[in-house]
Amino acid sequence: MLDHKRIDELNRKIAQSKEVFKQAFERFEPEETRLIWSGGKDSTLTLWICRQFCQDEGLTLPRAFTIDEGDAFEEIDDFLKRYSREWQVGLDWGRNEDVLKAAGHQLDAEVRVSDLNERNREEIKRIGFELERFPFEAESYVGNHLMKTVVFNTYVEDSGVKAVFQGLRWDEQPARKNDPYVEEVAAAHLVPAHTRYRPILHFTERDIWDTTLHFKIPFCPLYREGYRSLGAKTTSMKMADIPAWEQDLENKVERAGRRQDKEKTMDRLRKLGYM
Amino acid sequence: MKNVILITIDTLRRDVFGCYGRKPSLTPFMDSLQNKCLRFDRAYATGPYTQASFPGILTSSYYLEYGRQKNLPAQKTLISEVLKEGGITTAAFHSNPYLSEYFGWNRGWDTFYDSMEDDVTDLYPFMRGSVINRKVDTWLSASGRVGGDRPFFLWVHYMDVHEPYVPEEKFVGQIDANLRLEKEEMLGLFKEVILKRDTSEFETVALLKKLYSAKVLEVDSYVRELFQVFEQAGVLGNSVILFGSDHGDEFGEHGGLSHDGKMYSELVSVPFFIYDKDRSGGEVYRGPVSNIDIAPTIAHLFSLHRVKSFKGTSLFPLGASGVRPCFGEAINKRGHKEKMDDKPIYYCLKDPWKIIFDEGAGTYELYDVKGDPGEKTDCYGTAGVAEDMKREIHSWLEQR
Repeated sequence: MLDHKRIDELNRKIAQSKEVFKQAFERFEPEETRLIWSGGKDSTLTLWICRQFCQDEGLTLPRAFTIDEGDAFEEIDDFLKRYSREWQVGLDWGRNEDVLKAAGHQLDAEVRVSDLNERNREEIKRIGFELERFPFEAESYVGNHLMKTVVFNTYVEDSGVKAVFQGLRWDEQPARKNDPYVEEVAAAHLVPAHTRYRPILHFTERDIWDTTLHFKIPFCPLYREGYRSLGAKTTSMKMADIPAWEQDLENKVERAGRRQDKEKTMDRLRKLGYM
Repeated sequence: MKNVILITIDTLRRDVFGCYGRKPSLTPFMDSLQNKCLRFDRAYATGPYTQASFPGILTSSYYLEYGRQKNLPAQKTLISEVLKEGGITTAAFHSNPYLSEYFGWNRGWDTFYDSMEDDVTDLYPFMRGSVINRKVDTWLSASGRVGGDRPFFLWVHYMDVHEPYVPEEKFVGQIDANLRLEKEEMLGLFKEVILKRDTSEFETVALLKKLYSAKVLEVDSYVRELFQVFEQAGVLGNSVILFGSDHGDEFGEHGGLSHDGKMYSELVSVPFFIYDKDRSGGEVYRGPVSNIDIAPTIAHLFSLHRVKSFKGTSLFPLGASGVRPCFGEAINKRGHKEKMDDKPIYYCLKDPWKIIFDEGAGTYELYDVKGDPGEKTDCYGTAGVAEDMKREIHSWLEQR
């Protein structure tokens, strides 16, 4: 049970997030925006706040967008399907069908670059790889780029979306610590211009759980089993066998259960002449 | 209490600086700071490459304590952990994969940017100095950083001098007005000559040294830009700024290129100086000092207690700890691949002698660093002091 002071604090944080939505909808029509919804606890809270804001203001709820990297938890898929229905959220699924096909929908399968379409080949070159083949893994460097970044950019471009909402948090990892609430992404080769809004940056992991449990916001059952951070299925691990919110959130790194991208670090070392 | 800023430049030899005697200088900006600096004429790294040297700088420990491992051992204490516990705000901005979160170097930093999420190219396989500077600028401009009651420790590390040597045209022109080389050709030299450690052609090695020199000019310009950032943020007057390097680079001095597991001066002699705007008149400390003392000195500048796991001691008050020998250790590898059966190599420097112990071969080399700074004449078989130096290095290895 939370005391009144804490509940007031959480309400203030929610109000702060609504300010970000307010700013966004002053500039863009809801139809021009998308909420990035992975089915994880952060983006689900972002969606919950967005729904409240839109109901209060009589606005249409933006559609949500989720990326299927080809290595998703069934529990996450089920969660997304169930609550998009219950909450009446239009949900678009993005996939890199070309890569999935080349990999035969099989994890760790070897993908031949020559089997890919021109766009994907160009993308591999853009991130500085000169390879003939790579293993299909969603969270490897090439995999992450093709299965997430490219899918996202293609979707933004094809659907004419002008702004997106992301459920990122400052305390997620040190690299996020300086992220701004609003970021303009300029158009570049293969990247469409768009604006990124991050309404819940100021929520800590503890705030997320306190808010989620207090307001009875639904969450994916995997968190109850001990997962703290959900990414691709094969690279996310349980941190303990107790629910996420009962774990030592303050002293143990949230993403420790997710493998840091080894391939990316190794590629850097290779380029510097090591390995 | 002043902030402390540590600026380290990867792969930067000491002898490229005008203030350390090079003519013409490759570091005009850093030379111009010297009248506000305490300069250490003879600083030594604890190892000849990043993994062997950085434990010395940021954890005041030697590379192979706690065994041979790729990750930063849990028993070692990073200066960031000490400071964070002491109530100091800590921030790091760098682009060296060996010092990334992946290898465990993110402990104790309030802000840790290692660039591993960002995209790089073959020509510049790291975030360049200008990008690092922008990150620092953003961090400094974040509210409450300047003029807040919490002092900060900021570590900035540049990778720009590291191979592949692909300098900007204007810096190449300053080194040699007649030198015309496409960037792809420079990358070709990296792949065909540096990676193969091919020193067979004197002219090619000389050409590589020119490209390296141009990169030094370039990194000096990034330091100049960073000082403008500090000036604009209003932190220059209330910060002590330490400058150092993790190791040098070889251009055929001992038959190799780049920075392998060797302990000669072109690799372990490094620059080290401390800038303080309130300091008047440049001072120069002539005795040998080791990078092992950097972390304890930083803790001392914040008036924090001695840290148990630190092997070095504060350089202040200057000379108080007497002249101590300098040590280093690494894996004696050649080329870019470390093999499991490569064995450690160590050095001990105690004026005027430096002994190198190759554990795999069981052999020693001995140099008179004052009479023979290039370390060309091995006097292990002839100098009577050899036995004393041998005892010195083995007693360090035993009690370490």
